[in-house]
Amino acid sequence: MTFLKPTRRLFLGGALSTAGARLLMPTRARAQTAVALQLSWLHSVQFGGSYIAQDKAYWADAGLEVSLLPGGPNAPVEPPVVAGTALVGISAADYTAAAVNQGAPFKIIGVAMQKNPFAIASLPENPVNSPADLVGKKIGMALANTPVLEALCSINDVDIEQIEVVPTQYDAAPLVQGQVDCLLCWATDLPVAMESQGIESVTMLLADHGYAVHSQTYIATEDSLANRRDQLVALMKGEVMGWQDYHADPEAAAALTVEMFPDAGLDLATQTLQAARQVPLMFSALTEAEGFGWFTDETVAANVETLALLGKPVSPELWDRSILEEVHG
Amino acid sequence: MRMSARPDIRLEGVAKSFGAAGRRIEAVAPVDLVLAGGQMTALVGPSGCGKSTLLRLIAGLDAPTEGRISIGAETPDALRRRAGLAVAFQDAALLPWRTVEGNVALGRALARKPRDPRAIRDLIALVGLSGFGRRRPAELSGGMRQRAAIARALAGEPDLLLLDEPFAAVDALTRDRLNAELPPLWEARGATSVLVTHSVAEAVRLSDRVLVLTPRPARVAADIAVPLPHPRNADVLASEDFRALCSDVTEALRVHQFPQSVAAQ
Amino acid sequence: MTTRRPALSRDPAPRAAARSLPRGSGPLLVLLLWEALARATASGFIIAAPSQIVHHLATHAELLLRALGTTGWAALRGFVWGNLAGVLLALAAVLVPRGERLLSTLALLVFCLPLVATGPILRVLYGPGAGPQVTLAALAVYYTTFLPVLVGLRAAPQGWFDLVRSYGRGRMTELREVRLPAALPYLVAGLQIAAPAAFLGAMVGEFTGAERGLGVLTVRALRALDLPATWSIAGLAAAVSMLAFAAVGWLGRRLDLAPPEVLLAPPVVRGRRAWSGLAEAALALGVTLLVWKGSMAVFGLPRFFARRPEDVWSYLVTAPGAGAQRQRLFAALGETLVLAVPGYLAGLLLGAGLALALALRPRLAGAVIPLSIALRSIPIVATAPLIVWALGRGATGSIAVVATMIFFPTLIACQHGLARTPRAVLDLFAVYDASPLLRAQLPAMLPAFFASARMAIPAAILAVTTAEWLATGRGIGALLATVASTSDYGMLWSAIALIGLASVLAHALLASVERRILSRTSAEQLAR
Repeated sequence: MTFLKPTRRLFLGGALSTAGARLLMPTRARAQTAVALQLSWLHSVQFGGSYIAQDKAYWADAGLEVSLLPGGPNAPVEPPVVAGTALVGISAADYTAAAVNQGAPFKIIGVAMQKNPFAIASLPENPVNSPADLVGKKIGMALANTPVLEALCSINDVDIEQIEVVPTQYDAAPLVQGQVDCLLCWATDLPVAMESQGIESVTMLLADHGYAVHSQTYIATEDSLANRRDQLVALMKGEVMGWQDYHADPEAAAALTVEMFPDAGLDLATQTLQAARQVPLMFSALTEAEGFGWFTDETVAANVETLALLGKPVSPELWDRSILEEVHG
Repeated sequence: MRMSARPDIRLEGVAKSFGAAGRRIEAVAPVDLVLAGGQMTALVGPSGCGKSTLLRLIAGLDAPTEGRISIGAETPDALRRRAGLAVAFQDAALLPWRTVEGNVALGRALARKPRDPRAIRDLIALVGLSGFGRRRPAELSGGMRQRAAIARALAGEPDLLLLDEPFAAVDALTRDRLNAELPPLWEARGATSVLVTHSVAEAVRLSDRVLVLTPRPARVAADIAVPLPHPRNADVLASEDFRALCSDVTEALRVHQFPQSVAAQ
Repeated sequence: MTTRRPALSRDPAPRAAARSLPRGSGPLLVLLLWEALARATASGFIIAAPSQIVHHLATHAELLLRALGTTGWAALRGFVWGNLAGVLLALAAVLVPRGERLLSTLALLVFCLPLVATGPILRVLYGPGAGPQVTLAALAVYYTTFLPVLVGLRAAPQGWFDLVRSYGRGRMTELREVRLPAALPYLVAGLQIAAPAAFLGAMVGEFTGAERGLGVLTVRALRALDLPATWSIAGLAAAVSMLAFAAVGWLGRRLDLAPPEVLLAPPVVRGRRAWSGLAEAALALGVTLLVWKGSMAVFGLPRFFARRPEDVWSYLVTAPGAGAQRQRLFAALGETLVLAVPGYLAGLLLGAGLALALALRPRLAGAVIPLSIALRSIPIVATAPLIVWALGRGATGSIAVVATMIFFPTLIACQHGLARTPRAVLDLFAVYDASPLLRAQLPAMLPAFFASARMAIPAAILAVTTAEWLATGRGIGALLATVASTSDYGMLWSAIALIGLASVLAHALLASVERRILSRTSAEQLAR
């Protein structure tokens, strides 16, 4: 019967059980409130800051017991956040915009990746260094990402009809095997994988060519923002502290990741490489000045513009800085 | 509660037809019959004449389209429900995953009789299958299977025993032996019995009364009493009476099976 | 020629490989060729060499064993629950014959639910842990057990039921003494098909956000371009599935099941009225909608990702832009059917053809069966790239993916069906030195073949949508992938409803063909 057991929980609801935990708070000093953070992918150093927060008890000290829920190929972030299973999810502005257009009550409360990690990876013999180089090339990508390519082309005046799109699984093999000339992927994973296998590659960050979409954004429901503010603040505070530590020593974060998840099949060298590659995407002059996760009206305006090109019109209201202001204030 | 172990079988205007409205096949024409309790009645007739259908109606396995059947004071269904009857089926219908012992024991179990390994062993010996109790039906010859099926039918100690061509697949020698050995079994029980067969000699030898049926739809063409003494030993079988009865039955069959040839004569 | 008959009718299990080569040299040769091929194509990252796989297995033994334990335990639990559900459903369908159509339809619809819809819902329902993996493993097997067991529960001659009835005993006795024992060989066939499917289901279940397991490692290895890891995991999955398959088969032989011989039931003449079919369809539709709406309400699933029937109706019919959305959906369905139908037919023919070929040459089984299990147990996300690489991104590749996914259950079911040919009939053909294949064995195989053709409908849909998602980028599969990533749950649920409807229609079409053919060869299967 063990497999039926979890079903009972759904009648109570994730939210209910945390509410129960809150009721206990006054009686027991330092009682921990259980909340969940839904990650957008399998465990890896991509979420290194969160692991540091967990490891150094930044959340526990704030009375929060955070479970980190891994994502996966078939684990969209939005449903558990809407359902209340997770208090906060790690999404991206374009995904969040799409979900909001479908009626999800989300706000973006923080931005981990200031620069979008989407990149075009190619081989040095046949490089793509600028959007204009895409003309006449075969690009391998997941079809779901078609709007991304469309936006890039539209921003840079490239005729998308001149590019041949080949649907591929999200891996580097089609590029290496010569099935395609370039790949649309994250700068922090497939190029890292290729480098680990001894294959040199050229990456062109879309963010360097006008593609302004916040990535690895923290999303929460309007309901949580209204009713569970203290938890959100505590969670984000831990995140900020964790990622500050990460910035100081990405290698340690990579080592911690490999140590914390022995079953994830992680390789220290690859994780270290990935940890280093994502630093410039996450930390900028802006975060230097205002703190990790920060966004301004200007960056939001740039996002709104790009998202409109992606066919996902949003209002700047989607971004809510009040939690970050409390964290940093 | 329990009625006499020798129930009469009473058929009143019993008819049976199959099929949808457009193409009805009449299997049994309206029949009125009384089969006396404690007697063995044989039904003979050409293949496909409806003998087996009549047997199934008496067993309550099929319901008549018209008319009414009673067995003693009960309906066939009621008799079935208290496991008062047993059928030895034409194709033996042994369950292939049970051994001979298992199949015979099933006869008792289905009839809700207490387990009795001794009785089972005796029955198996009686039908000449000693030493084959642990065998599966697939390992037996056709004749052995039918003997096992008869043992299973007897195992439930029925008040009404229905035998549907039980020796069809048995070789002549074995058949002869079974014809000699089995009657004492049901005579001792005193059960009312109905035997479907197409062997004239077997019908006369085993029964107290032979009903000759016409080709489809089945009607009673001849009703021939068999006043031969029991047990029907070699002397009886060698008697003139026996031979006369056999030729009576054969003649009745012939007349009704090939009416044209009779008319031509 | 003389060895053919007993080998076929007694023992459908894998036999030793062909012995034309010196013992052991065949596999060695294959290994050497494989190694050479892998080394020659190393720069293309297409296949891993055996030496690399062995090295990876040796250096990651602990990790792989832990992952295997996690996935295997989830698969085992899913196997038990799924098969239990399949058997209970079949029992219910036999005990309440009037409800059979409804039950079959609901069972089919649930089996057709695509992973992109069920995965997130299960994860939300269960939270972290193995719940979704176990459930998806169970969902992957219940239908392929339900169908053969249903066939088996009916695979008894009328005489056995008459026997039980002649003692005035009812359905329960009939079930205990006749139907259940008669169904056991079919259950074994179902369990054998279920073993690799459960493992695959558990692996794919890990894609819904699991912490650990072979599925997690697969995703990681694929992304990391780590071919030795991918192939090691695939090999482990295949090996475990083969072991489970062999264990179930061994158990079946230990039980010494006596398969019922071919049944000679008279053809069923039934006056079916048109309106009763319509009424049944309406009832099935009503109950489906009720279950759909009701289960979502009971579990309190947010409308955002768990759309109700009325949402789909409004999305496709009444909402502004419904026309365009409808058009997009139907266009995608059209593209899908163009690939799914040929793949489906190819897979069925391949499975049935292989079963017949193995009946003629039982020795081939030693090579064919393990390969078939391997193809069935390795996640399609791992095999699809290889197939696509070999056959291209065009129609051929997708059709091959579909055929690969469905030929295995067909093969196993048909093999078991072939084993039912009566000895006497085989002997008859042997007397004339004629091949019994077409005139005796083929008819004996038909009920099992049709059962697997039914199973193959949802399997073909799953396979074609996966191929579309990974390779061709067209059709319903690509649509599902796109809308799932953009939270377009209105379209997602509309597509699910359409897939379900298409499956039920395909099923009905198949049922009418089946009815027409089986009424001549296996009438007992039609007796309700």
